[in-house]
Amino acid sequence: MPELAWMLPCIAVLTTLLAFAWLALAMDAHWRQVHGGAVLTPGVRVTLRVLGGAGLIASAVLCFIADRPSMAVLVWLMQLAGAVPLVGLALAWRPRLLRAAWPWSGR
Amino acid sequence: MFPSFRHAMTWLHTWFGLSLGYVLMVCFFFGALSVFDREIDRWALPDTRFAAQPAPSYDTLLKPVFERLKPHPDDIKATQDRVIGALPDPDTLPMDALYYYRTHRDPVLRIGAEFGIPNKLKSASDEHAHAHGWATIDPRTGAVLSESQFKIGSEFFYPMHYSLNWQWKNIGYWIVALAALSMLVALISGVVMHRKIFREFFTFRPWKTAQRSSLDLHNMAGVAGLPFHFFFAITGLVIFAGWLYFPVSTTLLKPLHDHHEVLEAAHTGLAHEPAGVPAPMASVDAMVLEAKRRWAARDMPGDVGFLYVNHLGDRNGYVSIFRAGNDQVALTGQGVHFEASSGRVIREDPPPSAVMRVNEFLTGLHLQHFRHWLLRWLYVLGGLLGCVCIATGFIFFVEKRKAQHARISSQGSRIVDALAVTAVTGMVIAALTMLVSNRLFPADMVGKDYWQKVVFWGGWALAFVHAALRSAPVAHARINPAWREQCWVLVALAVAAVMLNWLTTGDHLLKTVFTDTYWPVAGVDLSLLASAVLAVAVARLLARRERAQCRAGSDARQPGVLATAEAGHA
Repeated sequence: MPELAWMLPCIAVLTTLLAFAWLALAMDAHWRQVHGGAVLTPGVRVTLRVLGGAGLIASAVLCFIADRPSMAVLVWLMQLAGAVPLVGLALAWRPRLLRAAWPWSGR
Repeated sequence: MFPSFRHAMTWLHTWFGLSLGYVLMVCFFFGALSVFDREIDRWALPDTRFAAQPAPSYDTLLKPVFERLKPHPDDIKATQDRVIGALPDPDTLPMDALYYYRTHRDPVLRIGAEFGIPNKLKSASDEHAHAHGWATIDPRTGAVLSESQFKIGSEFFYPMHYSLNWQWKNIGYWIVALAALSMLVALISGVVMHRKIFREFFTFRPWKTAQRSSLDLHNMAGVAGLPFHFFFAITGLVIFAGWLYFPVSTTLLKPLHDHHEVLEAAHTGLAHEPAGVPAPMASVDAMVLEAKRRWAARDMPGDVGFLYVNHLGDRNGYVSIFRAGNDQVALTGQGVHFEASSGRVIREDPPPSAVMRVNEFLTGLHLQHFRHWLLRWLYVLGGLLGCVCIATGFIFFVEKRKAQHARISSQGSRIVDALAVTAVTGMVIAALTMLVSNRLFPADMVGKDYWQKVVFWGGWALAFVHAALRSAPVAHARINPAWREQCWVLVALAVAAVMLNWLTTGDHLLKTVFTDTYWPVAGVDLSLLASAVLAVAVARLLARRERAQCRAGSDARQPGVLATAEAGHA
């Protein structure tokens, strides 16, 4: 299906962004940027790391479903390269955007 | 010499990065533009703004075009230097081989041919007794594009990123190779000296000092783009290694290479030498149809990417047809080879070996002729990340030293900063002046290609002069206003290019996006406007910082303020 050919890479990009947002939130400094003074509990930290890791694997799987392996590996690596600065810039200028990835501050 | 390995790596990273970073900026920026070189060609050549075309008929359209093709005067001149005695009239040289190459993004078709020459060659190691001819044609009509219809994207920006368009003794290639090697060194040394790769993976603090925030951005762009930068530096070297950097097949291992060619020809059935017996040419269109049928039978239907005819008009002549690699990383593949005189299939290439697959993957991933628009844009992002990484490296270098240099009246930071302005905003200005001149100069202007290049280099030189003349504040540990001023020039040029495109061709954005959609031109226009918006934001930010510096400077000069501050501090 042609729609699927477009949708899969788009979902993969969003998954990569979400995964990096979770991994960033698992760090104290970025958690504070997003959720203010709320404390990042060890349980939430582990959950965010697991979600982040799983998200990256999921985005890789989506890339490999969407394209043949030689192409998929390039798409996935380049998505990673593109997503990191986007999350970094969001943290610098619009940190509250990342609340969409984890709205619960635990307060 | 150095107290630790990390210190040694820091020294290496700093000075290699500084000395060759300017070249790397060129490689990354024009490399990023090269991802859309064909689209820039369409923008620059309004006559070629039509849809990408399938491979045209050889029998009815290309054959008469090739019959009219003659050796190119530039190549005749270069060939004359390699041979003993005067070359015959170029129009009388027989065509020995011909080819065309196309991708899914090409409305126009590039064709070329080799012409036999009777002269003996000066060098014993030179066995290439041929002159070359080439042209770009409209595949719908066979009309040849004139030489002045200069393809800015694929004939200037693209070679810029690997040769700096400096062809004398291939020196540009060698400088770029040195820069690519330095890039690898900088990447490895950068990883060694970066203490907090994971902890600062997403860290960018624009509210901190320029030194700190530029280092944040440098680290983020460097780490995020690391795989891209590493693979593009190394594949760039691999692409040219065989024929330029390590030409062992024409030097050290030449006898082995020549022997291998003969054995390979015997193995594949594709004759190494002509038979010397004239023979007619069978229908090439029928061969193309047969090749397409075979690709479809292998569940990989496709169009021709590369067609090559060797030993033209000879009984040993053959036609090689390769499938365009739209859906794969490799540029072309699945070759089917035919006897030219009969159309009989001589050979269908087997799947490539593991080594060949790796080679095709590495070259294909760099040259990217595939049809994957998301990946193409991600490549642009990767290239721009490289530019950000290098530019912030320059800024960090200056910010770290300029206060100290101001104290000891050193001009070091000032020089580096002026060169950085030239390599960052100056380079973009140069590219934009070329686009603006392309729209301002008449289409039929004699030497239009030459004058566009003059404008490009002149624009860049002026940007350097401006950056140098305005760099005095750096010697007093302040911002060079040239950064901001060149941002505004960039804005003016980018908007002017879009407007001139509209005025000279009628292709405004409403038309190219909505009413008569043509994404190659719309994409270039939108990218120009996006660059202008970004440049406005940067210029305003710089203006705020300059004002803040001025305020801080004037406050520091007022004794009353100083006394109050000191009292408060006490």
